[in-house]
Amino acid sequence: MLRTLIIDLNKLRLNPVVVTQVREKGHLTRPRLRNPYWFVRKERLARDTTVTTENKAFVKEIIKDKYGPPAIIKGIPSYDQSALIKTEQYERQPWHEKARRCGLIARKIGQYPLWLKNGERIRTTLLQVVDNHVIRYIPPHEYKPAQKPNVANLNKYGCLLVGAESVDPSTLTKEYCGLFRDSGVMPKRNLARFIISPEAAIPAGTPLNVAHFRAGDFVDVRGKTVDHGFQGVVKRHGFKGMPASHGVTKTHRRPGNIGGGGEKGRVWPGTKMPGHMGNRWRIAKGLRIWRINTKYNVMWVQGSAIPGSTNGLVYIYDTILPLRKHKTAPPFPTTFEEELEALTGPSDDIWYEDVHSFKDDTITFQPETN
Amino acid sequence: MNITNRVFTTSWRKGNSFIRIVTFSTKPQANELPPFIQKQSQPNSTGSIEGRKSVIPQNYRFIYPEFLPDPKVEWRNPVREKLERMDMLDRRTKIDIPEFYVGSILAVTSSDPHAAGKISRFVGICIHRDRCGLRARFILRNVIDHQGIEVRYELYDPTIHKIEVLRLEKRLDDHLLYLRDALPEYSTVDINMEPENLDDSAEVPINDIKVVLRPRPWLERWERQNLQGVANVDQYITDKQRRQALAHEKPWEKYDMMKQYRSSIPEEEQKEIFAEVHSQLHSLELQRKRNKRKRSFVKPTKLA
Repeated sequence: MLRTLIIDLNKLRLNPVVVTQVREKGHLTRPRLRNPYWFVRKERLARDTTVTTENKAFVKEIIKDKYGPPAIIKGIPSYDQSALIKTEQYERQPWHEKARRCGLIARKIGQYPLWLKNGERIRTTLLQVVDNHVIRYIPPHEYKPAQKPNVANLNKYGCLLVGAESVDPSTLTKEYCGLFRDSGVMPKRNLARFIISPEAAIPAGTPLNVAHFRAGDFVDVRGKTVDHGFQGVVKRHGFKGMPASHGVTKTHRRPGNIGGGGEKGRVWPGTKMPGHMGNRWRIAKGLRIWRINTKYNVMWVQGSAIPGSTNGLVYIYDTILPLRKHKTAPPFPTTFEEELEALTGPSDDIWYEDVHSFKDDTITFQPETN
Repeated sequence: MNITNRVFTTSWRKGNSFIRIVTFSTKPQANELPPFIQKQSQPNSTGSIEGRKSVIPQNYRFIYPEFLPDPKVEWRNPVREKLERMDMLDRRTKIDIPEFYVGSILAVTSSDPHAAGKISRFVGICIHRDRCGLRARFILRNVIDHQGIEVRYELYDPTIHKIEVLRLEKRLDDHLLYLRDALPEYSTVDINMEPENLDDSAEVPINDIKVVLRPRPWLERWERQNLQGVANVDQYITDKQRRQALAHEKPWEKYDMMKQYRSSIPEEEQKEIFAEVHSQLHSLELQRKRNKRKRSFVKPTKLA
């Protein structure tokens, strides 16, 4: 603005002797990277010194009145909000292959083997969907993130804010609790945004459960890997190290040579060296869901190398691998609580067809007939 | 509190007078009990805690060690453990997994896609038992045609048809991996062996046989492991090895309460876990007993 004005004035050449200097950063100006609005301080500074036991009881009572009584819901300590949350009437739209569905927030609770019907043993990781609720849907025309996620045609997609694990709101800041006010949902410990197509929008206040995915589907699981700290080359990259004896001194776990000489007389970019290991976001892609338990909201997912530690938080998405994407319509936009019973029947467990249920008889192989 | 504890431990001891099974417990071992307590022990198999009788037998943690989860705190999760136990019980309704220990002689019949007739039976002595939950497994060893054979089975593998205990007994050590370095007769079992009947109420006998090792080289440094069931470790080791074994001893570890605590499931939690599965396990046990009675009665056949 100022600059154009000065240039215009210069063009007039009212006083050609005066030289005005314009000092600015020019190319260095770039849009400010603003965080999303839900990135506010979560924890409140606890000043409990003046709070009496009566005060505490009163706070508990208020929470109970506002959000419902504490209850254990699907194996997770939470609050029973079913009577208080009323979601708006919602009309389902048909699924199509380009639709992006919402994901889930889960905890990795451990791993144990399952067996297939052909006798093969598979290692599985158990992911428990922890008390997920939809907090807010932001339609495409409103969703203009400053830090653009790597999604093609972002302007066509909206954003769904999902929270997991209800917490006592008296431990949180006012601003953070305010995020949940419109949905009527208890403030949640964890928030995640999922980029979805507008057809897959879910009304705020809807609880999400593990039946959002079907047994046999493929998912991508995103988590933060275990933090190992600054590690040497043997642990970080699996280098062999050098012998323990036979005249080796002081170089037992060192990398050795890190570059050549002559033309290439330098350390090449990307050379494996010591450094920080772990504590990175990683996505394990294309994992099959072998089994689902709707009573505890648990899914059994292929493999034992899901990023993160046991009891750590992970995010589950529909896979992006083209050959493993949904071929038939998944629950769209999700499976609502009312539909759960029809889905499972009496046993809570849904097994993928290839997996041997422990309630089945022992596996036998039929002799070949010639 | 002290007194009840003592009564409890002694009664537990009565029920299970073996000591070298992996126990996953913080309880003092039987031989560490002072003698004066042993005198007051009463034959009370159920044990009484705080005046109330506990229905769950005290020896469940030895009979069903795999129901206790891995004590590593970072890996624990109550929901996972519960689901795992439910799956284990589901499997146990389909196959009778009997009580057995390291040193018992077992016969395992399992589906095998590569065997003739698609089924294979292996008889051997159980030399190792480890892991918890659905991952629980054991190793059977036998010598067949002068060749030592070992098979590792998973307890809850659904390809296993039958696990028979041919001889129920215990040995002096946690594991018998040293049988690999012993003379072959110590791990040779007749593959057509008949199951030996043991009275249900009787205690599981401890076989205190001392195994004779072959000369070195060995697979492990057996001299450093304080093995009770080996006769001749000293015969083959040099003075230097003897000295080193002495240097590597860790006699203070039995006083390391934190170490014990970290490597075991506390008694209160054990009770919770077994209270959850007890009713089903008990009904399975009753069923097994009924079947056994049926089997032991053999109808006499007419000759000629």
